[in-house]
Amino acid sequence: MARRVLVLVGLLVAGCASTGQVSLGEVREFADASAKLGGYAELSRRYRDTYERELPYLSPQAERVARDTDARRRAVFDDFVAIQKTLVLYMQTLSLLAGDGRYDLSGRIDDLAGGLNAMTDSGLKQRHVAAYAGMTRLLTRVITSRYQNRSVDTMVRDGNADVQTLIDAMIVLTRIYEKANENEQKTVLGVFNAEIPMANRNADRMLVTLAKVHLQNKTAEYKLIDRRYKLAQQGLTKVALGHQKMRDNMDQLSSAETRHILAGYVSDLNLIRSALSGE
Amino acid sequence: MATTSHSNPEPVRDDANPTPPSTAPRQQAGSMLPNQPSTPDVVVTTAPPYTPPAAQQAVATVLNVDDASRANALSNMQYVVDVADSVVCVANDLHERILEEIASYNGRTMPDAQKALMRALTDDELLLRQYAHALYANAATFVIHDLAAPQHRLMALTTEAAEKIRHIGVISEVTGLVGGILLLVGSIARGQFSQVGAALEKIQGHNAALKTLKPGLPAKT
Repeated sequence: MARRVLVLVGLLVAGCASTGQVSLGEVREFADASAKLGGYAELSRRYRDTYERELPYLSPQAERVARDTDARRRAVFDDFVAIQKTLVLYMQTLSLLAGDGRYDLSGRIDDLAGGLNAMTDSGLKQRHVAAYAGMTRLLTRVITSRYQNRSVDTMVRDGNADVQTLIDAMIVLTRIYEKANENEQKTVLGVFNAEIPMANRNADRMLVTLAKVHLQNKTAEYKLIDRRYKLAQQGLTKVALGHQKMRDNMDQLSSAETRHILAGYVSDLNLIRSALSGE
Repeated sequence: MATTSHSNPEPVRDDANPTPPSTAPRQQAGSMLPNQPSTPDVVVTTAPPYTPPAAQQAVATVLNVDDASRANALSNMQYVVDVADSVVCVANDLHERILEEIASYNGRTMPDAQKALMRALTDDELLLRQYAHALYANAATFVIHDLAAPQHRLMALTTEAAEKIRHIGVISEVTGLVGGILLLVGSIARGQFSQVGAALEKIQGHNAALKTLKPGLPAKT
């Protein structure tokens, strides 16, 4: 009986070796890179805080309008961020589902084999061998690469339409943030551009110098932030295209061409992420 | 600004339009500047194409209700963004005129009355920009309209996947646990007490891992 058990364990381990080479590496890397893509959350916060930055430059009348808009921005901020949270959670889970070690139970089966080895000379083997047989049935049903592929396939196929809708909304919102930021920039810099040339009396010199320094700093700040809107939009577009590509090629994920295309998106996303975090 | 509200279509006017300014930009002051185009012209020439409701309904018949409603929201959003862009254009134009007027003094000191006028015009420009901000904020709320359903569906899909991951984790840990128990029992039966400690450690490890994989907890990473 003990020998039979060992033979069964051997067969099981060999079976794992032949079917366990799941290759969803590109899917996992793409989902990881998508989940880590920054920009949107930070730009959402910046948009929410527009009023605070503009406040020192506003007339009382403009301030009243700005305060009302501020309340409306804050009222929907959580909804804006929730879109991203849903997408990040989806991508993180997809990455786990496509994970390398997730379906590799060979270590556990080694444990089982070790335990069975220890049992070979004992008188208690019958009961545990029955437990082992049940376990084997369970394992053979689960640990196949087909199961993993099917799970990933279901997630990507069923999720694609909604993923595209959410990313589209994030891109549109980022464009609106960008427009609002441009309007804010003209508000802030515009005040200086009008006031500095008008202040040409000797008594104004120190004030003008300070204003010019402030203008320089603000100009540099807006120049840096301008780039981030474009980068965030590019990143989101890559995520949308990459997911669509996966959806369209679910049946041939292991083909060299599909893997190459997905690897290209991953590389682009990593470049965009480091550009966003490097500033 | 009044012209802006006139150019708005009925469907978006209530939500999209901020209250018109109680003080309109100073027309009499603006008219002192050369070649300033009238506000209505700027708004009309930059106004976006408007999709008639009939055309939107025609599109809706080939889409499901969710899609149709969302398409309508996005169409409204685009309209409001275009109106906001028009308001920004007017503000930009006003700003240019102010700078030109200031530059025309070419370093000479501007009379205080003229400075006051320039500042009043700058205030008007800033007020216009705040109305544009209000419109952008309205446009942004259109974007999230009808997004609850796709978000819920995606969350359900994610939860389902997380449950699959948890399930695999449970099977893996139970397998290890059974291996540990077999090792423990076998070691005792054969009198190999040196292996008992290792077996117990294994059992404890897998047991602890199993506890973290209870339903409802986040997926193990």
